[in-house]
Amino acid sequence: MASNELELLGQADQARVLDAVRRGATRRDLLGMLGAGGMAAATAGGIFGAAKEAVAQTPRRGGRIRVSGTSTSTADTLDPAKQSLSTDYARCNMFYDGLTTFDGSLTPRPALAESWQQEGAKVWTFKLRRGVTFHDGKPLTAEDVVFSLNRHKDPATASRARSLAMPMTEIVATAPDEVRITLDSPNADLPVVLATFHFHIIKAGTTDFSTAIGTGAFTCREFQPGVRSIAQRNPNYWQAGKGHLDEVEFIGIPDEQARVNALLSGDVQLIAGVDPRSVRRITQAQGHGVFETKSGYYTNLVMRLDMSPASNTDFVLAMKFMFDREQMRTAILRNYGVVGNDQPIDPTNRFFFPGLPQRPFDLDRARFHFQRSGVGSTSLPVVCSPAAPNSVDMAQVMQQTGARIGMNLEVRRVPSDGYWSNHWFKHPIGFGAINPRPSADILLTLFFKSDAAWNESAWRNPQFDQLLSAARAETDEAKRRQMYADMQVMIHNESGIGIPVFQSMLDGHVSRLRGLSPIPVGNLMGFDFAKHVWLEG
Amino acid sequence: MLSLVAARLALGLVSLLLVSLAIFAITSLLPGDAAEELLGQYATRETVAGLRASLGLDLPAHLRYLAWLKGLATGDFGRSLASNMPVAQLIGSRLPNSLMLAAATAAVSVPIALTIGITAAMYRGSAYDRTVSMLTLSVVSVPEFLVATAAVIVFAVQLRWLSALSTTADITSVAQFFRVFALPVFALCCVIVAQMVRMTRAAIIDQLRAPYVEMAVLKGVGPLRVVLHHALPNAIGPIANAVALSLSYLLGGVIIVETIFNYPGVAKLMVDGVAQRDLPVVQACAMLFCAAYLVLVTTADIIAILSNPRLRHP
Amino acid sequence: MIRRLSPAGLLGLLILAFWVAMAVFGAAVAPHAAGRIVDMEVFLPVSADYPLGTDYLGRDMLSRVLHGTRYTVGVALGAALIASGSGLMLGMCAAVWGGMVDGAISRALDTLISIPSKMFALVVVAAFGSSVPVLILMAGIIYTPGAYRIARSLAVSVNAQDFVTVARARGEGTLYLVRAEILPNIIGPVLADFGLRFVYIVLLLAGMSFLGLGVQPPNADWGSLVRENMAGLHEAAPAVLMPAFAIASLTIGVNLAIDVLGGGRREGDGH
Repeated sequence: MASNELELLGQADQARVLDAVRRGATRRDLLGMLGAGGMAAATAGGIFGAAKEAVAQTPRRGGRIRVSGTSTSTADTLDPAKQSLSTDYARCNMFYDGLTTFDGSLTPRPALAESWQQEGAKVWTFKLRRGVTFHDGKPLTAEDVVFSLNRHKDPATASRARSLAMPMTEIVATAPDEVRITLDSPNADLPVVLATFHFHIIKAGTTDFSTAIGTGAFTCREFQPGVRSIAQRNPNYWQAGKGHLDEVEFIGIPDEQARVNALLSGDVQLIAGVDPRSVRRITQAQGHGVFETKSGYYTNLVMRLDMSPASNTDFVLAMKFMFDREQMRTAILRNYGVVGNDQPIDPTNRFFFPGLPQRPFDLDRARFHFQRSGVGSTSLPVVCSPAAPNSVDMAQVMQQTGARIGMNLEVRRVPSDGYWSNHWFKHPIGFGAINPRPSADILLTLFFKSDAAWNESAWRNPQFDQLLSAARAETDEAKRRQMYADMQVMIHNESGIGIPVFQSMLDGHVSRLRGLSPIPVGNLMGFDFAKHVWLEG
Repeated sequence: MLSLVAARLALGLVSLLLVSLAIFAITSLLPGDAAEELLGQYATRETVAGLRASLGLDLPAHLRYLAWLKGLATGDFGRSLASNMPVAQLIGSRLPNSLMLAAATAAVSVPIALTIGITAAMYRGSAYDRTVSMLTLSVVSVPEFLVATAAVIVFAVQLRWLSALSTTADITSVAQFFRVFALPVFALCCVIVAQMVRMTRAAIIDQLRAPYVEMAVLKGVGPLRVVLHHALPNAIGPIANAVALSLSYLLGGVIIVETIFNYPGVAKLMVDGVAQRDLPVVQACAMLFCAAYLVLVTTADIIAILSNPRLRHP
Repeated sequence: MIRRLSPAGLLGLLILAFWVAMAVFGAAVAPHAAGRIVDMEVFLPVSADYPLGTDYLGRDMLSRVLHGTRYTVGVALGAALIASGSGLMLGMCAAVWGGMVDGAISRALDTLISIPSKMFALVVVAAFGSSVPVLILMAGIIYTPGAYRIARSLAVSVNAQDFVTVARARGEGTLYLVRAEILPNIIGPVLADFGLRFVYIVLLLAGMSFLGLGVQPPNADWGSLVRENMAGLHEAAPAVLMPAFAIASLTIGVNLAIDVLGGGRREGDGH
């Protein structure tokens, strides 16, 4: 509607009006300006509103913001291969680019690679963008790309993405601006894999990561691990119309209350990780807003199928039926989430299968299966930890519901410290927390394939593994969709994973900060906020 | 006196060595190592083994300790396993912050605590004494994170007088200094004042009951003079120890305040070090805290000896 | 002693007696189970249904405070007794024996105090698992060096007094010196220190149970109740204020009662 009124004007007039409004023209000024053209006052008023709206949507250059992530420590890194926390992703995304990047639907888009071609999803050729330079002025070449990708395979790099890089059997420069990647087996999702942050492109031969020399929209002015990073706009950024702020200071405040307070006191302008209970407080404060990203993020119950009691199928079913998903969504997440169905593909994903019937909260069926399992009133420890967000609360809700069918669950809270190495899927009943992954294939390969290192519930199904490989190689979208649907059904029915809810990610910001839109790989626009946002005048 | 200090110094070195050994032993008892913690959820057998090798964690524990000790003898504290930065540099960049916060807190809290403690003892049993007693107890029983957060909500969010974050980089003037330090210093004073007040009051009251003080009172010496000249010198030992204990908290124990105000000090460095099993960092921090503690309690002991003629000439 | 009870002392004893009673019977008189979600609304204010409001999950706060009493009072009392008791014993021994013994005890405890309590707690959980007795013992050990410092400094200055020198010249044994000469003369400040140590331990519990040590959900000690409801602080929800108030009342009760005990003792001895 608004834009229609603007379109009443010719292109030259449109530009004139927008420019006037941008410089602070009032409705009256505009009326005078347009009145000369003999336009009705009402129409001119409409144009004024539309122009104001359009200006608000137009990025403004300049300004400085301070942003807080959810953690900071001396392990903060500028080494793309070592990124492991959300704060690392947000920091590195300011300084580096990948060959590809995600849009709001997680479809890979060209970034440093201008285009790509594939043969049988096995041999891929990426054409690099010309005229891109690193922050120190060196032009980007194929050699840099080969180095950046190859280093993940070396165990000494300690790359978090080693398992994703290992299938790239050969990475070679075929021309100064062309790289060929050969895979050990076909993967139609390679451009998605390359958009994950660990595959950021660095200069060939880089070993020192005390500062960041990338091709990103910001240059690194200061980096103090555990304290702060300061990013300055890169005037030579290759992508026109991105990177509006002069400076971004990035810090980490681990305590959620302290983070919200810092936002509301004006000390920071954008915070990641808002607890659903703080949303009302932020939105009620003048000049602040909350930005929601619906995503595939979930905290899941892990029942080891190779240990008692979950080796008993009836027990697993009983647990799944006594999941009070609705109560968890309302009481724990304050409705910032979507009810899950014991399979890991969430509704924002293009391969989500809506045809799978929702498993209900049904105490009668839970009781029936529980009695058939013969577990009885033995005390069953449920291991939870603050490391897996909300797991302690979920365990308590389950304990309450369990008591109603005679199940004796005992909540065992363990420290966050060392949780992932010592507790995660090491107990018969416990919790995991899985960050969103950019593709169904990556997610299923990491967590559900029979021989996956993180096959949490030790669920093994050769048929599933075959389907997974076939779907990866399949380039026909419709066939692929059907395969992923079948796999979701299998996990829903057979695995030892219970997924009660998919949790939304919430960020708080000052209302003046514009340009935020969800990219569902994580908080803060999939950690890529810096180049997109701007401050309203 | 000099010989005492020399003896304490020598013993202090032994303590430091013991601390480093204890920390080393405890860290190897802790489940998980730096390689596993750094990789976190990403840890797989190959990546852990690779990282372990590159960090030198595949060597046996006693060899690693000896290597560390050898480095220490040449003044090298080693490198952080998590960030690969020299430990000396990490601590060097944060220690001034911690000392500044500790000094500011000590400068505010010690005079206040001693004044309150002494006056409460002078007027013991009065309404003033009872009020002070109730107030200090109430203040110390409120959890630190509650005091700090409540202060932020009132003074930074509602009134907007002060900053919710304490970033030392922002300090360019005295007013700025106040804005940055007011809230953390306030929160820390709430924690440590009570112990000093209560010990001062109890120690002085104890002395006021001693025969020699009663004698002085009978001779007609005024109450202020009795306290300052007769009771205080004998009570100063326990008071100095209470002050030393409270102040020793200000270096390593301020983790909650550092976290809430996002203040880059050594306490957070140490806690992160523990979480990441970053042994060189933990070692250096623990020895630093131990050294600070030893300096404080030795000073307290010396003050006690100097102020008490009986201890001076045994 | 009873005759001399001041109104403040009486109040202290009453508060203490109340909380000890709640530690024993709290779970029985609580209207709800500690973990039961009673209302979908969180951080409700004080009402007839929920006299202390509801917490961050919509659970009845009164019940949670009552269920938490035994963990708070019991653990803190036990741990403070261990800390102050062993600190006092070691401190007096160090003062009386002096020399090498003093040096050895002091250096050993200096080492102990330099180990970060979080690290200590993590090792203990890893080695001995998590249970309430382990928690009591650990909190006691963490606070022993502080208690020792205070007790030793008090005992050292008493030890240098004439009457102790005289007693020693008479040939009295260590046990007599400690029991008859030193202890009565330092008990006042030592008890004052005990009162504070008690509070410190109550506050330590919140951090420890966050690490997974000791009290397990759905039960929680009072410090943890404050911590888990911090999101309600900006609206002054009773869920965060009431447990803090309970801690303060317990602290005041214990310390007032101690003042009575310390004062009463004093009258009895002759120095």
